[in-house]
Amino acid sequence: MHATFETMGTVVSLEWSGDEQALAAARAVFERADRRFSLYRPDSELRRVADGAVELLDASSELREVYATALGWRGETGGAFTPHRPDGAVDLNGIVKAWAMAEAGRALGDGDWCLNVGGDVLVSGQAASGAPWVVGIVDPADRASLLTAAPLVGGRRAAATSGSAERGDHIWTRGREGAEFVQVTVLADDIVTADVLATAIVSGGAASLDDLTARFDIDVLTVDAEGALRATPGMRELVSDSVEHATSAR
Amino acid sequence: MRRRAAVASIIASAGVILAGVQVGAAVTAARTPTATGTGSGSSNGGSTSGTGTSSGTSSGSTGSTGSTGAAKDGTFNGTTVQTPFGPMQVAAVISGGKLTDVKVLQRTNQGGRSIQISNQADPMLRNEVLQAQSANVSTIGGATYTSEGYLQSLQAALDQAGFAG
Amino acid sequence: MTIQNASRPAVSPSSAGQPSPQARFRRRSAISDLLVVIAWVSGPVAASLYLASGGLADVKDFGSFFTALGIVTGLIGTDFILLMLVLAARVPVIDRAVGHDRAIGLHRQLGKPALYLILAHAGLLLIGYGASSGINAIAEIGPMLALPDMITAVVGTALLIAVVVTSLVAVRRKFPYEFWHVIHLLSYAAVLFALPHQLSIGGTLAEGTVQRVYWIGLYVLAIGAIVIFRFGVPLFRSWAHDIRVQQVEWIAPDVASIHLTGRDLRALGAGGGQFVIWRFWTAGTWWHSHPISLSALPTDRHARITVRVLGRGTRRLTTVKPGTRVSFAGPYGIFTDAARTSPKLAIVAAGIGITPARALLEGSQLARGEATVLVRSSTDDETFLWTEMRKLAEARGAQLFAMVGPRARNSWMSQHDTSRGVTLRSIFPDLDSSDLYVCGPQAWAEAVVADARAAGLPEHQIHLESFEL
Repeated sequence: MHATFETMGTVVSLEWSGDEQALAAARAVFERADRRFSLYRPDSELRRVADGAVELLDASSELREVYATALGWRGETGGAFTPHRPDGAVDLNGIVKAWAMAEAGRALGDGDWCLNVGGDVLVSGQAASGAPWVVGIVDPADRASLLTAAPLVGGRRAAATSGSAERGDHIWTRGREGAEFVQVTVLADDIVTADVLATAIVSGGAASLDDLTARFDIDVLTVDAEGALRATPGMRELVSDSVEHATSAR
Repeated sequence: MRRRAAVASIIASAGVILAGVQVGAAVTAARTPTATGTGSGSSNGGSTSGTGTSSGTSSGSTGSTGSTGAAKDGTFNGTTVQTPFGPMQVAAVISGGKLTDVKVLQRTNQGGRSIQISNQADPMLRNEVLQAQSANVSTIGGATYTSEGYLQSLQAALDQAGFAG
Repeated sequence: MTIQNASRPAVSPSSAGQPSPQARFRRRSAISDLLVVIAWVSGPVAASLYLASGGLADVKDFGSFFTALGIVTGLIGTDFILLMLVLAARVPVIDRAVGHDRAIGLHRQLGKPALYLILAHAGLLLIGYGASSGINAIAEIGPMLALPDMITAVVGTALLIAVVVTSLVAVRRKFPYEFWHVIHLLSYAAVLFALPHQLSIGGTLAEGTVQRVYWIGLYVLAIGAIVIFRFGVPLFRSWAHDIRVQQVEWIAPDVASIHLTGRDLRALGAGGGQFVIWRFWTAGTWWHSHPISLSALPTDRHARITVRVLGRGTRRLTTVKPGTRVSFAGPYGIFTDAARTSPKLAIVAAGIGITPARALLEGSQLARGEATVLVRSSTDDETFLWTEMRKLAEARGAQLFAMVGPRARNSWMSQHDTSRGVTLRSIFPDLDSSDLYVCGPQAWAEAVVADARAAGLPEHQIHLESFEL
């Protein structure tokens, strides 16, 4: 079954096998997350905390947990990912979408489904035909066409893409004029990791790319301002042209 | 050095080291997955497998320096959580009623990663990548689009086809 | 040519009303031993902080082993550095127990080990954390520097390296003293720069732990000692006693006595034989402080020091005008009556060493016949202050011998007297029950001490004050 709905400032596309209950459950997750974390809603919990109307200690454990997780990722990425805006204000936009996706995924269960929230993807099982779910990666230079595609198999259930061309509030490229990468796609086993690291690599550039690919179990495809590509060995295999390929040159 | 001082130093040093080992053993025994001498507070302990996130930092209270109001200033140690990368414990610093910092108390410094070290992203030629056909693709991944942006996106086209087919 | 008094000394106990030298010695050596034990054990305590926080349980593999070692070396290395601060702080308890000179000697010995430990701390942690993250040590540098306060810690380490390298004897010799001193002052900055990272990311010293309390207490102690005893007390005393130059009096071609006036100088409590660190406030002398022994016990309003001109700095001292303000730190040193351990007193002095010897003779509690003094000189030029010595010896009932003449080879005595068979024991028959105080040019004084050791005199009965020349 297919469904789309709006939430958190973007559009969710859901394809799944099962009944309406799954859709309702997923919608509820996003609605709750939107109510809690959206900085655009004047009555969201995060808004009230940011304004000081609510003490952080009295905030919900979920909000505190998300914030703590975001701070943990700040440490892990050496500051390339940060929940703080340059003026010091707290902005959890960079993590709440993925957080909600992860929770929605838990609500959807272990069946076959493909969840796409504004371009970030989380899947379970396989597509209707028995083939794996395949994610197409948009060409940042021409948004109407695809760069390539990769199957989401093995320990790669999640695909998150960050772009500096379409900067969200949560990416602040560190101290450089132009971003090294205009688009970064990260495949990982969980969506929060994929999303955070995609953001971190856009922000931190090549140094973060090398550091984070070494330390985390992820595959990455990057596109720079000239359109040149870089890919980890695993990603190379996934997107590669030839069907029978020897092990990569590395 | 005088002999009396030397002997006393050796004995005292040995005693100090032994005491440290003993205390350490006791501390380690007490420090199992959740409780680490923190006060009340909800704790979401437990690890999520195979990921880098550690869930569950609760604010117990050890050492509050504020008054008896609702928001106490001070540093609050969370429970220790076992992550795939070792025990993780963070402390929340509250100042003026706001969360101003989160400190990592126990740095995870253990191995346990099974990631290949040589996961470097190397340049790749465009003609090496698979030429993707929309028909073979289940979903479109790209930088986030807004609700308005969705309407022009490939994902919208895919969704339309999916509804139709 | 030697002069010998006719009468033999009578053996008599020291003056009544005071605890005997042996009792005072026992008390002092108890305090000194206690200080030594505290200093030594502080290292294992530092390591034990890590053990007590459950550190051992974290050691499971290659990476964590190196990390553990890295943590422990950091703790012990910093402990050494704090110890060095305390040793250089001129704490009165330490000065009275072991003497400022010995404290500085230990301070110097700790410098290189402390630096090695800190460098090992950095290297081992890079290896350990790197291994745990699956990367090599060089790659770990980036993530490590991203942690809070790490950049300042690296700056502190760089300063420490500069301080230690410039203090190596080979390097120090090449530069003027003032240059070395300015660089050495950077050690304060090094310590302060390194502190934040210890408290923010040092897991062993986490908030709310006993370890943190202990560590902060150590810092308070060390920095407090410096602030109070190295800066505070001297500043206050200099202001309170208002010392000024009265007159410069030449008593030999290259030796001058500087007479000083001030207020309440007896309250300084200077024991005969102590030295004071002086700073004369003229344009050419204010940036260099000098340790100079008092050559007479101060009265309430007057003090005297005697200097030998050895270089530019000391020459400038002799040109200060009357009325020049003088600030000071001290008095320090245990080349005094307070360090006595035995019933009798033997003094051997040469050259400028006559200065503390004279003060010692003047300031000691002495029964008649208790003290014997030998003054030594290669030529007749070096006999300054000898007249005063003779008068003092007469007044205190001490025997005075003078030995003039060129040195014999391999001896501190004159050729003439060595050929006559004179030895330390023949000069001081009661040597074994005496405290031997030796003061003079370094090489000569060390030869006397070696002779005394060879004669079987125990270490605690030998007191040495040596001078550059």
